[in-house]
Amino acid sequence: MMNLHYIFYFLLVASSADGFSMNVTETIQLETSKREFTAGEIIVLTFSGTQDASIQLYCANSYGTTLVSPKLEKNQLQYTIPTQLCSKIGVVNWKLLHKNNSLSGTFNIVAQKTPVAMETYVGPPSIAAGENDYTMLVVIPTDALDNPIQENTEVALKRQFLANEQQETILTKNLIAYQNIYSPSESGRMLLATECLGLNSKEYTVNVLPAISTDFEIFAKRPHEYADGNQITTFTTSILKDKNDNIISDGTFVAFFITNINGNLLKTSGMTIDGVATAKMIHPDHQETWSVKAIVAGISESNKISLRYKKVIEDFTITFSEKNRNIEVGPLKSFMNQLIPDGLQVKLIVSQSGKIIETAIKESRDGFVNFELNPNILSNGNYDLEITTAGITKTIQAKKLW
Amino acid sequence: MVKADKNIMRGFLVLTYIIIISMLIFVIGSSFSYLNTGADRSSMLHTEVKKATVYLPKLTWTTDGNEGRKLDAQTLAKIESDYLDAWYVKQVVYKTNQTTGIDDFYTESARKNIVAFITQNKAENISIQATTLSHQPNIEFFSEDGQLIVLKDENVVEYKQLYKDEKFVMETTETATYKVILLLEDGFWRVRHLVKERVKSVETATEKQAVPNLNMKGINYYPQATPWDMFGDQFDIEIIKNDFDIIKDAGLNTIRIFVQYEDFGKANVNEEKLEKLQQVLDAAATKKLQVVLTLFDFYGNYEILDWTLTQRHAETIVSRFKNHTAIVAWDIKNEPNLDFESRGKQNVLAWLESMISLIKSIDSTHLVTIGWSNTESAHLLQDKVDFVSFHYYNAAADFMRHYANLKAKITDKPIVLGEFGQSSYGGFWKPFSGSEQKQATYFKEMQAMLKAENISFLSWTLYDFEEIPSSVVGNRPWRTNPQKKFGFIDKDGKRKLAFEFMVE
Repeated sequence: MMNLHYIFYFLLVASSADGFSMNVTETIQLETSKREFTAGEIIVLTFSGTQDASIQLYCANSYGTTLVSPKLEKNQLQYTIPTQLCSKIGVVNWKLLHKNNSLSGTFNIVAQKTPVAMETYVGPPSIAAGENDYTMLVVIPTDALDNPIQENTEVALKRQFLANEQQETILTKNLIAYQNIYSPSESGRMLLATECLGLNSKEYTVNVLPAISTDFEIFAKRPHEYADGNQITTFTTSILKDKNDNIISDGTFVAFFITNINGNLLKTSGMTIDGVATAKMIHPDHQETWSVKAIVAGISESNKISLRYKKVIEDFTITFSEKNRNIEVGPLKSFMNQLIPDGLQVKLIVSQSGKIIETAIKESRDGFVNFELNPNILSNGNYDLEITTAGITKTIQAKKLW
Repeated sequence: MVKADKNIMRGFLVLTYIIIISMLIFVIGSSFSYLNTGADRSSMLHTEVKKATVYLPKLTWTTDGNEGRKLDAQTLAKIESDYLDAWYVKQVVYKTNQTTGIDDFYTESARKNIVAFITQNKAENISIQATTLSHQPNIEFFSEDGQLIVLKDENVVEYKQLYKDEKFVMETTETATYKVILLLEDGFWRVRHLVKERVKSVETATEKQAVPNLNMKGINYYPQATPWDMFGDQFDIEIIKNDFDIIKDAGLNTIRIFVQYEDFGKANVNEEKLEKLQQVLDAAATKKLQVVLTLFDFYGNYEILDWTLTQRHAETIVSRFKNHTAIVAWDIKNEPNLDFESRGKQNVLAWLESMISLIKSIDSTHLVTIGWSNTESAHLLQDKVDFVSFHYYNAAADFMRHYANLKAKITDKPIVLGEFGQSSYGGFWKPFSGSEQKQATYFKEMQAMLKAENISFLSWTLYDFEEIPSSVVGNRPWRTNPQKKFGFIDKDGKRKLAFEFMVE
């Protein structure tokens, strides 16, 4: 029984010694000395010291991880790294999956020398003139296997603006190359292109838009200066320009504010075409003085102009007929004694002992206005009448209706 | 007499009528209200956003390297979420070898690289389970038009397991630095280029911590009314303080309590629970009881893609209480060896190891252990823990043999008996198996041995319980009933015979 035990121990020691010696003789070594490869190159890692083709190789790159099985050739293990690992730049780490010997290491894959594509991003696509605003151009030059090319590669950035063409060199850094492009003082269209090691990009356009307008002047034009309530006064601006004398963009909204004698506001507006905005307003129908100012909201304003409108009607006649129940106002004559154009407003207020009973507003036709006083509303009696037109008011006290 | 009979009759009829009508109304009413339940407007319109938190590696941004446009917080948050989703989707893709989801987070040219790997891995039946545990991204460049970002992600700690033909091949933890270009496409920040710049594999070196003389004389504690639900709605600090008095007066110095993973809110730990835990720890500190805090109770996933969530859970709790005077040790997981069969030993051990190194990185002062359920598994990861702890529920007579077996496997770590005890149940489901006398004898014998060997111990448990949740030992009465009677104090608050032998 005792002997048996000894034999058992002996076997145990022998077998473990065997394992130990195997460890010593079998020193697996990496034969491949190259540590840096170019993307797309075929990479084979060769190990000597073992012929055990069941040993797998773990390897991982930027995107993923996999296991590779070897091929036994000339008493060496050859691991052909899969193409998806060979084709992407970055560090690849590997580890030999051998139970006693965990050999591991890394190698580096760099991008191919020549770029074949340039992904270019330009934005924002429009900027304001005036050397303040800028757009940015970002280029990612990539090689045939879609790898960003090496750091510090020169990229030529070319630009054309009006008569000016220029070129500058930028360097790739952090996988990209970029440049801020500041706007010139004039507005216009800027064309951009890049070149990297003989590879040219397509053309990129940046719109340099005029900046915001500076203060401007306004003018008024009218057929005559009479307050006939019929003609139209046209307001125009001077050419709106930014501080670098670029005519501001078409469609800029200009609001004209008109303040009359009573301090009431009238508003009209227009949008610029070639820098000029136009707006219109009908003449007042009574003597008036307008003070006009235009603004581009929040940006700029104009000077203030003053417009006087002369009275057209000095006086008018009132004729009563039909038991004083028909009132005819007119003829209403304009500045050349011509009958005033249709549409002049005439207002009648009927009151009795200070209390307003009826109000009527009518517009003139062929120089006359007729009011009918309805006996169903205004019974027989004495009434005060007040007639207003073109800013003139006439009152008739205690007119008897019957 | 006749009149009286008639009145009784009348009364009876009226009552019957009222009862029948009210029953009818009840039946109609409840069926009506039942028919009125169902789709409400919000669920009809699918207005709610269903987004589950699935991937939460530790992430620290630096934005000082940005050469381009200034980055606002909202864009940064969007980039963070999409960038992490890109990693998560990649991990899922390599695990399943299916391309679901990569279209959203990788641009057309970038996803080709992943597809190439999948094609190969699928053909060779290789699958990779991986997760990243920490990221330190730094914005290098943000373009003026807000469509392109370059970031450098430093010290990405990635844990991987490789399987070939469904068999585990290897595991590795690597730290790498990546450069990433992300493009904003269709509202997603998508990976355009990914370049690994540096990588090194991490050999987790465990620093040796001098373990003081533990001298734990303790007990596993749950309040009598709320076993396995200590921090629930019925939480009452006064009851717990009282119990601590009983424990202290019995001559004990340590308690072991449990933090349930789901109950505490998984990755987003519930502040209310933390406050309750704080109260318990404060009370223990006042009574001069030291606490072994067992984390991850009832947790059983261990899946590698779940790691980041559990790590955020542990991080919140450990960093909150790492300076608490009551804490003596973190017990990572209660009886994880019971999950070996269902979840894979490999996974469970890898999870434990990674969790230990996380907790050690946050709290280097307190001890760390794992509450193994038996002596057979207790030697596992012994070089990672500060002391070995195991549970013992077999006969007292066999204890020394089991203990000696374990001790032979442990080189230089103290050993703690984390749970032991015997039920006094001897009723219908297990007649004559136990009694208060037998329980007392058991503890007496155990205590003698523990004293002789100078073993730190934590017995199970202070109270007999009225109800055992089904998640503990199931629903079968022959299992739940004995489980109720492990206490030193019975359900009426009377001290059982074993109470004398809580400590030698």
